[in-house]
This record gives sequence, C-alpha cells and structure tokens, in this order.
Amino acid sequence: MTQALGDRTVPDQPTLVAPARRRLAAGRYVVIVIVALFIAWTLWPLYWMVSTSLKTPKEATSLSPTLWPHSLTTANFSELFSSSLPFGTYFVNSAITSVIAAVVAVLIATLAGYSFSRGGYRLSGAASVVVLATQMIPLVVLIGPLYLLLLKAHLLNTYLGLIIGYTSFAIPFGAWLMKGFFDGIPREIEEAARVDGYSRLSILFRVVVPLSVPGLVTTGVFVFMNSWNNLLYPLTLVNSNSRQTLPPGLLQSFSGTFKTDWGGMMAASVITSIPLVIAFFAVQRSMVRGLTAGALAGT
Amino acid sequence: MALPALLILALVIGYPMVAAVIVSLSHYSLLSPVHTFAGGANYSQLVHDPVFWQSLKNTAVYTGVSVVAGLVLGLLLALALERAAGPWRAIRALLLTPWAVPVIVVAFLFQFMFTTPGGIINAALLKAGLIHSALPWLTSPALAMVTVIIANVWTQLPFFLLVFTAALGGVPDEVIEAARVDRAGTWSMVFGIKLPYLRSAAVVGALLMIIQNFNNFPLIWAMTQGGPAYATSTLVIYVYQLAFTSFKLGYASAIGVVWLVLLLVIASLFIRVMRSDRA
Repeated sequence: MTQALGDRTVPDQPTLVAPARRRLAAGRYVVIVIVALFIAWTLWPLYWMVSTSLKTPKEATSLSPTLWPHSLTTANFSELFSSSLPFGTYFVNSAITSVIAAVVAVLIATLAGYSFSRGGYRLSGAASVVVLATQMIPLVVLIGPLYLLLLKAHLLNTYLGLIIGYTSFAIPFGAWLMKGFFDGIPREIEEAARVDGYSRLSILFRVVVPLSVPGLVTTGVFVFMNSWNNLLYPLTLVNSNSRQTLPPGLLQSFSGTFKTDWGGMMAASVITSIPLVIAFFAVQRSMVRGLTAGALAGT
Repeated sequence: MALPALLILALVIGYPMVAAVIVSLSHYSLLSPVHTFAGGANYSQLVHDPVFWQSLKNTAVYTGVSVVAGLVLGLLLALALERAAGPWRAIRALLLTPWAVPVIVVAFLFQFMFTTPGGIINAALLKAGLIHSALPWLTSPALAMVTVIIANVWTQLPFFLLVFTAALGGVPDEVIEAARVDRAGTWSMVFGIKLPYLRSAAVVGALLMIIQNFNNFPLIWAMTQGGPAYATSTLVIYVYQLAFTSFKLGYASAIGVVWLVLLLVIASLFIRVMRSDRA
C-alpha cells in the first residue's frame, strides 16, 4: 500500500508502465491474503463443529484436540434421538411453530406491505417509523406483560402462544420487506384489472401476489429464521418439555459447568443449523437484494 | 388492508408497552398478588443500583466494539471482494454462511472453541507460543466480554459485507473512471473517492446493528448468562434476570423504559446525521 502511494509521484508515461503493473500484482496478493483470512475465519468454526460431531466422546473432550477425527462415528447423532434427551420433540416443536409463524406473518405482512406501497407518501412514511420503532423495542421489556397476557388467556405452554409472539415481532419488518418488493411492481399492471372491475383485494391476490413470489418466499424465510432463533419467548412462555423448542431445550440439556458432552452438543448444533442453512441459501439472492435495498433506502 | 397488522401490533406490542410503563410505576412482583403504587421509587432505585450502571457500561462496550469491528472488517472485506467476478462470486455467498447459523449454535460453537481445558483456541495459541498458559476465556471477567464480542462479530460480519457490497455498487462508474485517469493510487481511491459514497450506507447499517446489539439476548444468555460476576451482563440480560429470576417486574420495567428512551435518543441523533447528509 505504501509502495502504491510512492508510485504516484512518478511523472512520465514510459517509466510508469512497469511499476504500475507491479503495483497491480502486489495489490492482488494483498487482496488474496485478506480474502483467504476471512474464509478461514468464517469456515473454521463450522468445520470444527462438523468434525467434533463425528468424533468419539473421548476424542471430542481430549485435552489435546485432534484436527481430524481419528475414528469417524455417528454415535453422537444417534444418541440425540435415542437417549432421554427429547431432541426430536424440540426439533418438531421448533419446526411447527416457526413454519406456521412464517406463513401467518407473510399473509398479514402482504396485506400491510401492499397498502404501505400503494398508499402514498404519508402511509409509507408512517410505515418506516413504525418499523424503526418496533425494531427498537427491547423484547425483554415486553415479555413480562406478554407473559401475564398469555397467562390470563391460558396460552402459556401452547404452540399458539409462541406463534403469536413470533408473528407479532416479524410483522413490521416483514411488511417493510414486502413493501419493497411491491414497489418494484409497476402500477400499470393493476390498472387493467381495475378496469375489468376487480376489487382491491382480488387485484392483490390474483395479479400482484403471483408476481411477487420471490418477495413472499424471502419474507417467509426471514420470519422462519428469526422464529427458529428465538430464545427469549420459549424460555419464558413455555415450561413443559413437550412444547419446548430447540434453543431453550438445547441450552437446558447441554449447559451447566460440569456437562461437557461436546460431541453431542456439536451433533445437536449441526442438526439445528441444517434447516436454517438450507432455507437461507434457497433464497440467498433475493434475500440479499430485499434486505440491502431496504437498508440502503435509508428506512 | 393494514388493519390486521395494526390490530396484532396493538395487542402484542402496544398493550405490553403501555403495561410496562404502568408496571414500572408500581411495586410489582410475579410472586405476590398485591401490587402497590410506587411512583418514582423504581426509577430512583436504579440510580443507586451499581449493577444497572455496570450493565449499561457493558451494553455500550458490547455494542460499540461489535459495531465498529463489523464496520471496519465488513468494509475491508467488501473492498477486497469488489472485483470478484464469475466463479469467484461464490466466495461472497460462502462468507454469508454465518448469517444462517442459528444463534444458539454460534453460542455453543464459541463456547466449545474457547473452553478452558481442551479448547482449540487455547491449544492453538499455546502451540504457536503466543501464550504460556491457557487463558480463562469464558471464566475471567475481562476475557469473557472479549469472547462474547468475537462470537458476535462472527455472526454479524455478513450483514456489513452485504451493506458495503451494495453501496460500492452504487458508486458511479464515471467517478471511478475519472479517478483512474487521474492515476489515483489504491489508498486515495478508497479513502478519497469511494468512502464518501459509503457514508450513508454505513450510518444506516450501524444504526440497525446498534439497535440489534442493544437488544441482543440469546447469544450472551447462552454463552455466559451475563457472568462471571455481571461482567457480560448487558441491560437485556439484567432486565430478564430481574423479571424472571428475582421476579421484580416493576423494577425490571423501569429499567426497560429508561433504556427505550436511550435508544430513541440514539436513533434520532442518527436520523439527524442522515438528514444533514442529504441536504
């Protein structure tokens, strides 16, 4: 880099060619080294998770860690589903609540996002304020009153209680994402349907929604990921093992100073990650577009 | 059509918000059925509560260091990958993976890598001769915060990479071309030409991540539960503990209200910066 700065003072054309080329080559090596370091930083923890999950308990907890599993075993995985640990139940509970929350949130966010998109400047200004405000509210401040509310409604320890919690927090951002996608659909397309006498709602579902499938999927995946990650709600709103989801369930099973079943913990981590990684990469492209367009539009 | 959304928000966010403010003005315990009016007692209590101030400081450190590290590393990475074309673009997708890893898994992973007897990080540092005895990453107050922040940066770097990649794409080609004709060096190309274009993206990205880190519960709770000795206890962690371990809902809500006001101030400062940017 410093060399590049020095080169700039070279005045005339002929002498410039060689240093310029050298500068380019040197810059290239710097870039390659930086990128390689970041790849290692990103992938190492993931490699370590997978390789540990395939080690025998003795090897996984050894005080001198081995880089490569000496004897591959799937015992950690089969243990998850056969032992007293209700891992399968946690997984199913997480899946049910996250999927339903995603579907419900997409439906409601579609309606709200559409009205924000077509409702003129005033509505969309209000939308971004609501989104920013709800993003700022600390979940933990709401959880006390929400707990009491669900207690009165007899919704503690139920799927419905969790789904309501997940959905409510996903709606503002979901509506904002959907608004972004709807903004990209020209209004002229709807004009024809309006001339034919369709109502607003049927225009939305027959004309606009089919055109915004990537947006629906992206928003759905976004809600799904957030729900799958939510620790606070199930931790406080659920206390029976039969309704518990993965994050608090795993925490309960593997935490404690003396529990160091690293192999089992990493196997559980691998399985917990798989649905999210698949969902993320399935929509990676449009998710990236939706999220960054939102961030760059300056809310 | 926005009605269903507004109804749900009113019920599940609006009502608890109002309830939180009311509860913050009373002696409210989840254990006792009697709730008496407390006026400002909960608020004056927090002024004299050392754990509150410690948590506030921890929140600032955790948020500040995570966001600054994310901004710097994300920018560096976005610049390094800027010219990536063809198959090399797959690298960018690869580097986004941490985003898709569940938070609970990130917590487990970093706990495992930094664990004190047998963790890979200590083993590698010892082997490289950088340290002479294993460091107590998660059990010493000073290092626990470092460890939690490292894990946090790992999950959040993809977001900053994306924001800066998108913003770099928005730098007009003519500007880059003109600078190239003027034979601008790499250094002045980055600092003089590109960075000014990235400012508003950086501000928005930082604001979103400040809010998110202020409110980040799962990572810290799963890694340290705020310990050792409140060393990693942020406001979220402290409020949660007050409400659900000590059952002091009134006091917990008072802290929550103060903290919401704090966030509002930060957000309005940022919005002002952005407005003046555009003018």
